[in-house]
Amino acid sequence: MIDIFFILFAILAIGGAITMITAEEPMYATLGLLISILSVGGFFALLNASFLFMVQIIVYAGAVLTLFLFLLMFLNIKKEDLPHEPKKYMLITLGAVLMIPINMLIFKALSTLPNIDMVLVESDFGTIKALGMQLYTEWLLPFELISVLLLVALIGVIVLAKQKSKKEIKQ
Amino acid sequence: MEFAAVVIIFINILLAVNLAVGTTPIMVWWERRVSGFMQGRSGPNRAHIGGIRLGGLVQSVADMIKLAFKEDFIPAFIKHKMFFIMAPVIMFICSFLTVGVIPFADRLVIDGVTYTMQALPIDLGILWFLAFAGLSVYGIVLGGYASTSKFGILSSIRAIAQVISYEASMGLAIISMLIVYGSVNLSDIAEYQGGLLFGFIPAWGIIMQPLAALIFIVAAFAETNRAPFDLAEGESELVAGYHTEYSAMRFGLFQVSEFAAMSAASALIVTMFFGGYQVPWLNTQALQENINIVLFAMMIILPATIYFFTQWIKKNNTWVDENDPRAKESKILIKIFKGIAIAVVVILALLLLFGLGTNGTNIATAMIQVSTFLLKFFLINFFFVWIRWTLLRFRYDQLQLLGWKVLLPLALLNIVITATYVLVLGA
Repeated sequence: MIDIFFILFAILAIGGAITMITAEEPMYATLGLLISILSVGGFFALLNASFLFMVQIIVYAGAVLTLFLFLLMFLNIKKEDLPHEPKKYMLITLGAVLMIPINMLIFKALSTLPNIDMVLVESDFGTIKALGMQLYTEWLLPFELISVLLLVALIGVIVLAKQKSKKEIKQ
Repeated sequence: MEFAAVVIIFINILLAVNLAVGTTPIMVWWERRVSGFMQGRSGPNRAHIGGIRLGGLVQSVADMIKLAFKEDFIPAFIKHKMFFIMAPVIMFICSFLTVGVIPFADRLVIDGVTYTMQALPIDLGILWFLAFAGLSVYGIVLGGYASTSKFGILSSIRAIAQVISYEASMGLAIISMLIVYGSVNLSDIAEYQGGLLFGFIPAWGIIMQPLAALIFIVAAFAETNRAPFDLAEGESELVAGYHTEYSAMRFGLFQVSEFAAMSAASALIVTMFFGGYQVPWLNTQALQENINIVLFAMMIILPATIYFFTQWIKKNNTWVDENDPRAKESKILIKIFKGIAIAVVVILALLLLFGLGTNGTNIATAMIQVSTFLLKFFLINFFFVWIRWTLLRFRYDQLQLLGWKVLLPLALLNIVITATYVLVLGA
């Protein structure tokens, strides 16, 4: 059962990613990315990581991609507004070929993995409470540092946006 | 699987489906009658089946049948037909799935086996609601985009901006509730609210966290696109917004999902802030211990309520023309209600006479709790309708100011205060 779902989500994730790269319409590209992200959320659910599953949907699908769509519709970007790309598919193929060595490396690393049973370590592994306990006891300092980093980025965005508007007003 | 398990799962799914979809005709009827009441007119009260009008409820059934059998029409200028068809479906599924995690009663024990009274037995609770409330905006966005009209696109932009700005305050209000409850599981949250505060006040969310309750309710109105936040379909500016080009059952699906989202929001408000399925001052244990007294009280209260209701029908539900079938409606309804009252009294008396076993006590408790939940649910739904016909629609910039400059700082302040209180008192 889990294998069937894994294959389904894998097909959807890869298909969504391909749609995102090749689609002519920006709207289709965004929705392709959305399907890819939702399928990755499905992978988390299969791995019993229910918190990551929910956060994937709430943050990426619910907030980040809706912001993308908001910008697309706000600026009303259409197929005609995008730059003409005659060599698009050739470049995509070139990129795929360039990625082959890295893929080979990953395959090699995977094939040398010891052959053990891939079951979940504990039944509450990845649930909200277990994850929270880990984050706030053992990994408190890295967690707080990351939140400070995010805060810095947040303030940086506001400062940059404000500066630009001031200059525009002076002109 | 055992017989009891199958029955309980079936009942839960039936309850969830009915709360999400089945309440739509009732809500449409309430919306019309309440708006009529507030504007000093009578609202729909003519349509009838063999003289039975049910105060106008038959009208919304007629409207539903009309929507279902209307010709399904897609305008020729629609470029993205797939998006156009998918949009109402996405919105409907997302609103529909949210109701699945609401507990309708406390965990039911039958023959030593515990059953969760939820349609979806998962413990993600509140996160599940947040996820699907965020996803349902894709229905509005795709619908507005695929409509290929300026009204549709403008309404989609408004819907996205609104959902993003109110989701932040909603999440923060939820966090302060989670600090109090210590769990995201809605069953645990409802169980917590069965306790008492200072020994005599029910420990409901709205009493412990009034500010969070206010922020959450305002944000829930914005998430469900209900007035005063229904800018996405502001008739005076955008015709009908994202569903301008829709007709027949596709429009009907948008309508149903709007009411399903409203039902989901009110079910969640009940569970988070109004004690869920808990009867005030009578938590599950107290109910089970005093089940005979409770049944006896019900045996007196229910017929009395029905008596006053029939008196009200006799006085208010009249028809001038004697020969019209609608003139006989009051008599028929009164007979039906009297029959119900007698049946209730007889069943309760029999139960009291022969006594309830352990299973019987548990099932009776669950039934009382489901009824309590439904009563609270319909009261909150009435509150939604009440607000819609009382407050005016916000202007767009006022809406954004309220979201970012009032609700968000208040929610943050509330988190700091709650966390400090919990940390200092160690509660």
